[in-house]
Amino acid sequence: MIRLRGVSLTYPNGTRALDDVDLEIEKGTFVFLVGHSGTGKSSLLKLLYREEVPSRGEVVVDGIRVDTLRRGRVPKLRRNIGVVFQDFKLLSHKTVWENVAFALQVTGTRTRDVMRMVPRALDLVGLSHKSRMFPSELSGGEQQRTAIARALVGNPKILLCDEPTGNLDPSNTTEIMELLQRINLKGTTVVVATHNQSTVDRMRRRVVRLEHGRILHDDERGYYFRGLGQTAVLPG
Amino acid sequence: MDLGRLRFFLGEVLTNFTRNAGMQFTAIGTVAVTIVLLGAFLFVRDTIQTFGAGVLSQIEIAVYLKDDVDDAKAKDLASKFASDPRVASASYVPKKDGLKRMKEVLGPDFDTSLLTTNPLPNTYHVRVKDPDSVPNVARWIGKDARVAKTDYAADTVQKLLKAAAVLGRVGLALIILLSLSAAIVIANTIRLTVFARRREIAIMQLVGATNMYIRMPFIAEGMLAGLLGAGLAIGVLALAEHQVVPKLASTLAFVTFHVNELTLSLELLAVGAAVGLIASWFSVGRYLRT
Repeated sequence: MIRLRGVSLTYPNGTRALDDVDLEIEKGTFVFLVGHSGTGKSSLLKLLYREEVPSRGEVVVDGIRVDTLRRGRVPKLRRNIGVVFQDFKLLSHKTVWENVAFALQVTGTRTRDVMRMVPRALDLVGLSHKSRMFPSELSGGEQQRTAIARALVGNPKILLCDEPTGNLDPSNTTEIMELLQRINLKGTTVVVATHNQSTVDRMRRRVVRLEHGRILHDDERGYYFRGLGQTAVLPG
Repeated sequence: MDLGRLRFFLGEVLTNFTRNAGMQFTAIGTVAVTIVLLGAFLFVRDTIQTFGAGVLSQIEIAVYLKDDVDDAKAKDLASKFASDPRVASASYVPKKDGLKRMKEVLGPDFDTSLLTTNPLPNTYHVRVKDPDSVPNVARWIGKDARVAKTDYAADTVQKLLKAAAVLGRVGLALIILLSLSAAIVIANTIRLTVFARRREIAIMQLVGATNMYIRMPFIAEGMLAGLLGAGLAIGVLALAEHQVVPKLASTLAFVTFHVNELTLSLELLAVGAAVGLIASWFSVGRYLRT
């Protein structure tokens, strides 16, 4: 589903965000990208939805060579990728319903389909009863769920989350993570960049650890810190 | 596009338009001022051109024949004039008719009893189709052996022709300059609205809206500002015409004030819409290229 080969990304100001990264993510998997701030987690996600173009290397998403993709083709790529951010990026003058529908409307979806797809997405994130509310009337967790509904409403194959729980308290964090797992169970490939250690350690999914733009380790059913997870769970 | 999508699109345009009402008023006002000036200029130009064309079409070449050319020989000239495509008409005035006409024009104070012979020559009055050709036709006629002298209001013709040409060029430059200034104001307005909506644009790009789709509401907004400005200008111009023209017409009785209001209005609306379209196209384009 996702393949990076020899990917480096250097920003115009000279900062090297990624350095010769190789990574493969199978269809339908759930992957954590972990590491300190500024280790290239967000940059890696940006390469996948073509917000950035690698300085070197090859990026393939769902069979599409993203690094050489023409600008005119980018919209089509993005309709296949949902993206969620730490700051939700909701439109404050639109209701929950309108925020979710917006993603469909601006990509030219027929009204009949909008009316069918928005309730399904709201139902998935459990916000059907708040569809007429504005973002300012919602809790942080609910706002993030709205953002997830917007990312998923067009049935993308991939969901990318950049610090989705960075602004949330522990109980909301758990809620969002459970939602992401449910989404993954339905077949969507989910990639979550985070530095929330407890979540990662509790969920025991694949963990890719980045440091200084390189992959430090990559474990199936891993922990936030390799080896530390086992000792963190005290016996008895 | 189904009705729901059209409603969504128009709703977006209208919401954004009213949200930036203050800035839009500035843009509309600038367009209106520009188009009022443009409209006033076009009005004056049309009037002068109509007036000038009227004067020019009345210009005659007076062809005075030599004394030894009698009426019969003079009639031969008529066919020569008729054969030339530039000539519209040629009327022959024998010397006795000429004297009669002179008496009519000058009235009873003009005493002909002292004259022993008729001093006037046999004369042709020649009119041409295209005022530009007056000097050439006059020269061509003057070469004929039977012709003593040709005469026409040379100065008037030259000046009017020159004025018409200058006015045309100045007008074009003025139109371009005014449209440019209106376009810049609209472009700035749109750039501000684009800036105010950068979040929305970012989300649209994120969920895979095409650049064309993102551009459309802004272009519609720009065109709306242009059209409203033009509409306002047309209103002002109509009021001005209603107030000023009757007074002018009574003072300058010899000038006919004739302007096709519908054509002019449509032209001004088109200018407004075009200015809005071009301005918003470029100001959004610069943003989307990032």
